[in-house]
Amino acid sequence: MANLKDIRTRIQSVGSTMQITNAMKMVSAAKLKKAQESIEKMRPYAEKLTELLAGLSANLDAELGGDYAEQREINKVLLVPVTSNRGLCGALNSNIIKQTLRLIENDYKSQEVDILTIGKKAYEQLSKKHKVVANHGEIFDDLTYENVAKVAQKIMDDFVEKKYDKVILIYNSFKNAATQIVKTEQFLPIMTETTESNVVLDYIYEPSQAEIVLELIPKSLKTQFYKMIRDAWASEHGARMTSMHKATDNAKEMKAELTLQYNKARQAVITGEILEIVSGAEALKG
Amino acid sequence: MKADIVSPEGTLFSGEIDSIVVPGVNGSFEMLNNHAPIIAILGKGDVRLKGKGILIDNEVKDKFTVKQGEVVLPINSGTVEMKNNHVIVLAE
Repeated sequence: MANLKDIRTRIQSVGSTMQITNAMKMVSAAKLKKAQESIEKMRPYAEKLTELLAGLSANLDAELGGDYAEQREINKVLLVPVTSNRGLCGALNSNIIKQTLRLIENDYKSQEVDILTIGKKAYEQLSKKHKVVANHGEIFDDLTYENVAKVAQKIMDDFVEKKYDKVILIYNSFKNAATQIVKTEQFLPIMTETTESNVVLDYIYEPSQAEIVLELIPKSLKTQFYKMIRDAWASEHGARMTSMHKATDNAKEMKAELTLQYNKARQAVITGEILEIVSGAEALKG
Repeated sequence: MKADIVSPEGTLFSGEIDSIVVPGVNGSFEMLNNHAPIIAILGKGDVRLKGKGILIDNEVKDKFTVKQGEVVLPINSGTVEMKNNHVIVLAE
């Protein structure tokens, strides 16, 4: 039987761990709410941009997309895995890293692969064995469109300069607080979608229609990138909230078990003492 | 006419205005009621809103300034679409 003092110390330490995990859960819940709100907020912009672009490119028959849509022979691939900077969020990050490694070992076995990580966790794991050109984990510290657009612009420039022939994004897409889905998305070259021709008003174009399309494509790419980062950000907090909730529950269970053990041990000590007193008294009577 | 200004970080303005001046890539221009449908690219500059009782949400108030009765929003780039007396500015 473990002694009383040991059990007491353990109960205390489990209790304080529980407080920490519970606090982390609360913090993540608040951050998750904010992250979800900002996804909501960007929707009008993203939708309008897509609508404009679809409307414009529908009645232009020329090959569109400019430099960003150029299909080349795939020799160099850039993978962009997005993870969190901090841990304690369940399998979220290891799923991304696993998927990245799977792509390197299977899909792009014969190509040269560079990695640009977003988030410290991916950087730490992948930089040991693979060529990581940069890490942009800092964008999570100040998550604004401007900062994200800068990273996206850099990647787009590299593609246009033919440094890479294909850019793949790997990130967690937010479904709900408990479920995140690993998504692998081709960022560049642009997959040309066939848009159904919609009714187009007789617009004045300033400057020309083609120029507007060329201007809008990078914007829509950056918006896509920003949306992806936002998604990953919400996923991180959702995952952390869920895993911290589980941790709190486990701690609660453990604490209850230890308390039971403690009471049993205490009972045993008291029984022992009574037994001693009674048998002592019996002996004196004798 | 109705105007909406949206950015990737949220809707900045939505409401009735009398006229709007936008910084087109080939120079600023103003749009009044019943302007013909137009799509234009905007460069760096100020979007200026004119009208009575333009209300800006408190949350984004620090992005706007008021100058001589106009509400001014500086932007880096953007796109504007005007149709059926509804102008939408996609601002960055």
